[in-house]
Amino acid sequence: MIQTIQMGHVLREAVAAPYRNLVTRPTGAAVRVRIEATLALSNGLTALLDFSEIELVDLSCADEVVAKLLLTPQTAYFLVLQGLREDHHEAIDHVLTHHRLAIAAVPPGCMAPRLLGWVQADAREAFAHISETGPLNSSGLAQALGWSESRSREALGDLTRRRLVRPVGELYYPLQTA
Amino acid sequence: MTRVIEVPTHFDDRNFDTFAAGFGEWPPAEKVLIDARGTQWASPYGLIGILTAGQALAEAKREKPLLTVPTSDEVKRYWARAGFFTQAAELFELHGKVPKSGATGPSDVLLDVTPVRASEDVHGVVHKISEGASRILHGELGLEMKATLRFSMALSEACQNIVEHAGTSGWVAVQAYTFRRRLGRRVVVIAVSDAGVGFRRSLESTHAKRFGERWGDGAALEAALIQGVSRFRDPGRGQGLAFIKRFLDQWEGKISIRSGTARLSIVPPWDEDIPLSDHLPSFPGAQVQIIIPAQDPKSR
Repeated sequence: MIQTIQMGHVLREAVAAPYRNLVTRPTGAAVRVRIEATLALSNGLTALLDFSEIELVDLSCADEVVAKLLLTPQTAYFLVLQGLREDHHEAIDHVLTHHRLAIAAVPPGCMAPRLLGWVQADAREAFAHISETGPLNSSGLAQALGWSESRSREALGDLTRRRLVRPVGELYYPLQTA
Repeated sequence: MTRVIEVPTHFDDRNFDTFAAGFGEWPPAEKVLIDARGTQWASPYGLIGILTAGQALAEAKREKPLLTVPTSDEVKRYWARAGFFTQAAELFELHGKVPKSGATGPSDVLLDVTPVRASEDVHGVVHKISEGASRILHGELGLEMKATLRFSMALSEACQNIVEHAGTSGWVAVQAYTFRRRLGRRVVVIAVSDAGVGFRRSLESTHAKRFGERWGDGAALEAALIQGVSRFRDPGRGQGLAFIKRFLDQWEGKISIRSGTARLSIVPPWDEDIPLSDHLPSFPGAQVQIIIPAQDPKSR
C-alpha cells in the first residue's frame, strides 16, 4: 500500500500560512515531524512525498526534510518523491550527495523512478534495470548486465541497505510508485 | 562631543571601508552623526550598511545616533521608495525633510529594505521576491527561467545566515541597476547585513583551533565560504554558501562577504576586486553582497 503525502498541505499546516515555498530549517523540521507522525500511524509500505504544490525548495529545507528522513534509523517504509521540478531535483540531489544518501524520485509523466543523490555506479545501474524490467534475483541481474554474481549481489545489497529495492525472498522488487 | 561620519557621495561596497573607518574603535564612545547630505547615490549594500551601524550602536547602548538625510530631493525620494527611511527612523534621529514612502517602490527595487528577525521573515522575503525576480532575471538579464528559483534559494540561504548565526536581526535589500563602468551591463544585487557576532566569533569555538595562529576574520571567512564549515556539528550544515558559489560560477556572478576586519570575494573575470582583504577598518556583524550580471548577449 502507498501512503501519499501532499507536501503543500503539510507545509501549510506547519507554517499556518498560505506559502508554497519550503524554506528555512525550522519550517523543514516542522514539516518532517508532521511527516513522521503521519507515517507512524500509517500501515503503508511506501511513502510517496508529492511536491507538486511546492514552488521552491531551498537547501536547508531539503536537508531538514529529505536527508533527515533518510537518516532516521530503523525506518519501516520506503520513501519515494514525486512532482519534483528541475530546481527541486537540484536542491535535493545536492544535499543528498553531500550526505552520501540517495532517494528514488518519479519524474513527471513517468512510472519508473530515478535516483537522486549518491550511490555507487553499479547500484545506480542495478536500480535503473530493476525499475524498468521488474523483479530479479541476483543471478538474473548478473546475467542481464553481464556482471559476475558477486558484483550483482553487492549492488543489490547496497540498494537494499538504502531501501531503494524491496527484497522478497530471493527477488528484489522495484519500489511501488502507483 | 560628536563623531561625524560622512557617507560617500556614491556609496557602495567599494568605498564601504571609508565609511567603516569613520567609526574608529567599535563601539565609538562619542555620539555619532552620520552625514548623508552630500550623497548622490547609494547601493542596497550601502543603505543597509548605514542601518547596521545604527543597530550596532543601539545594541551597544550608545546614545541614539543622528542621520542627516541627503539634500537632493531625487535621492531622498529614491531612498524613501526603497523603504530605507521607514527602517532608519527606528534607529536614528533623522534630520532633514523625509518624503513619505510611495505606495510602490521603483521598478528596479526588487525588494525594499526589509528586516530579517526570524525564519518567518525569510518566508516573507522569498514570497515577495518571486514575481519581480522572474521579470528582472529572465526578462532583463537574459538568464534562463530556472535561474529565478536558484536566485530565490540563494536569497533564502543568505537571509537564514542572519537568523542562524548572527545572534541578532539584520536587513536584506535587492535591486537591479546598471554597472556602467565596471561591467557595462545590468546587474541584480542582493545585499544582506547584520550587526551580529560576525563569522569569526560564530565559528571560533568549533574551528579556531584547527587554524592556530592564522585564526582571524579572514580565516573564518575562508572556512565558511571556501570550506563550507558551520558552527553546528550537524553534518548537513554549511551547504548554503557552497551552493550559492556554485551557481554564481555558472552566471559569472560575484559574492563578497565582509565581517569584522576582512572581506572575502569570489571574483568573476569582469571584476578586479582583491579576493581577500584583511586588516580593514572594523565593522560589526557581517555584510554579504551577491551580484548577478546580465548574460552576454552573444552567449544567449
